[in-house]
Amino acid sequence: MHIPDGYLGPATSGVLYVVMIPVWIAASNIVKKTLKAAQVPLLAIGAAFSFIIMMFNVPIPGGTTGHAVGAALAAIILGPWAACIAVTVALVIQALLFGDGGITAIGANCFNMAFIMPFTAYFIYKLISGKSAPESNIRIIAAAIAGYVSLNIAALFTAVEFGLQPLLHHTAGGQALYCPYGLNVALIAMMSEHLLIFGWIEALVTGLAVKYLQKHKEIPIS
Amino acid sequence: MRKKSGDFIERSLAEAVLFLKNSIFAEEYASRNGFLRSRATRAKILTIALILLAVLFTKSVLFLLGLYILCLIVAKASSISLGFFLKRTWIFIPMFALIIAVPALFSAFSPGEPLVTFKIFNAAFVITRQGAGAAAIFFMRVLTSVSWTVLLALTTRHFVLLKALRSFGIPQIFVMTLGMCYRYIYLLLDIFYNTHTAIKSRVGFISSSRKSRGVVGWNMANLWQRSYKLQNDVYSAMLSRGYNADVRVLDENGKSI
Repeated sequence: MHIPDGYLGPATSGVLYVVMIPVWIAASNIVKKTLKAAQVPLLAIGAAFSFIIMMFNVPIPGGTTGHAVGAALAAIILGPWAACIAVTVALVIQALLFGDGGITAIGANCFNMAFIMPFTAYFIYKLISGKSAPESNIRIIAAAIAGYVSLNIAALFTAVEFGLQPLLHHTAGGQALYCPYGLNVALIAMMSEHLLIFGWIEALVTGLAVKYLQKHKEIPIS
Repeated sequence: MRKKSGDFIERSLAEAVLFLKNSIFAEEYASRNGFLRSRATRAKILTIALILLAVLFTKSVLFLLGLYILCLIVAKASSISLGFFLKRTWIFIPMFALIIAVPALFSAFSPGEPLVTFKIFNAAFVITRQGAGAAAIFFMRVLTSVSWTVLLALTTRHFVLLKALRSFGIPQIFVMTLGMCYRYIYLLLDIFYNTHTAIKSRVGFISSSRKSRGVVGWNMANLWQRSYKLQNDVYSAMLSRGYNADVRVLDENGKSI
């Protein structure tokens, strides 16, 4: 889901940077107020954790593997605002130091994976788990559903961003200047693989991790 | 998604090791002398950011080609082996962009003026002028952007690059988290590696996909558990070094930035 440079035109990249700036400022202010001094390293560790999660290959039926984003798990553990910072940091390091995800697309990548995904996951998790006991199985199911739905919503936003490019940026002769495929192709390509494969990976990883954390009660989850 | 055989954890570890290798190699490169390495970090970041913006806005393939050749010249002038640079910049993202660009050549996706027509098993394929133009500009844009970004990473020490963000008004919490996170990635990878070795030495190889998925979930949660416990030690270490909620970072000359 990492969008490299060159896939999105200036309008989309610019708008999503502008959208993300107040989100980053709000996240920074909220986390500063709510995070205790002793928990400051937790944010950095959370970001490194998110980075590492994206490196895990998960086996899926048919002998293939995929990887999770980890934003849903980060949101459930850290809360959505701290998860927003943690995933942003992981994405910035990937873009700046390893060229994975573009620099001009940082706004878009963060919008999809550090804003839409953790917030969707957090609210779905809270909605389903309600006032259930911390050790309840409902929380595992809630975490898995939150992982599946949030990843697919993030993928939907990514597909729309891709699919809008030929409409927004083309020459008089109809030559696409950025991502060359319209919504009809982008939506089918992105959503089929995320609905059928990657969503299940995110669900599985998030659910199993919450199950493990429930067993080790010394670690609080949101 | 990758279709491979063998142990998925081994593959994850192989990727992690490759990541470490690339990262250490990049640091080694960045610490050598060369044209771009001797430039001021902020000026370098600003210049490359402007180039990336030019790449984003241009509608000319020739201009992109010019910027790409300029990138190769600057890389060479910065004492970076071209073989290494091309390998680093062509693998994965531009290759992936190339694969994505191929269908765009044809009339099914890019209707327009026919450029080349050919038949495979009685099925006619038409490459259009619009499709060829779209594929060329898309691919060159991705390749040029990736190359300049990698060049920045190869000619700037990573911690200096992350610290320089502070001077661009990025909130302190982000810069501090970036700097600390960069170090923890190595530590967590080490924990990941040791955990895998421990699993292998105790239970041997994991056979079924179902068990494998359980192991992945367990690994991630275990990693979080250990990370969570680590924070207290880290905070104590920060306090012992004079941490008072205000973070100061030093440049290469030991001056506060």
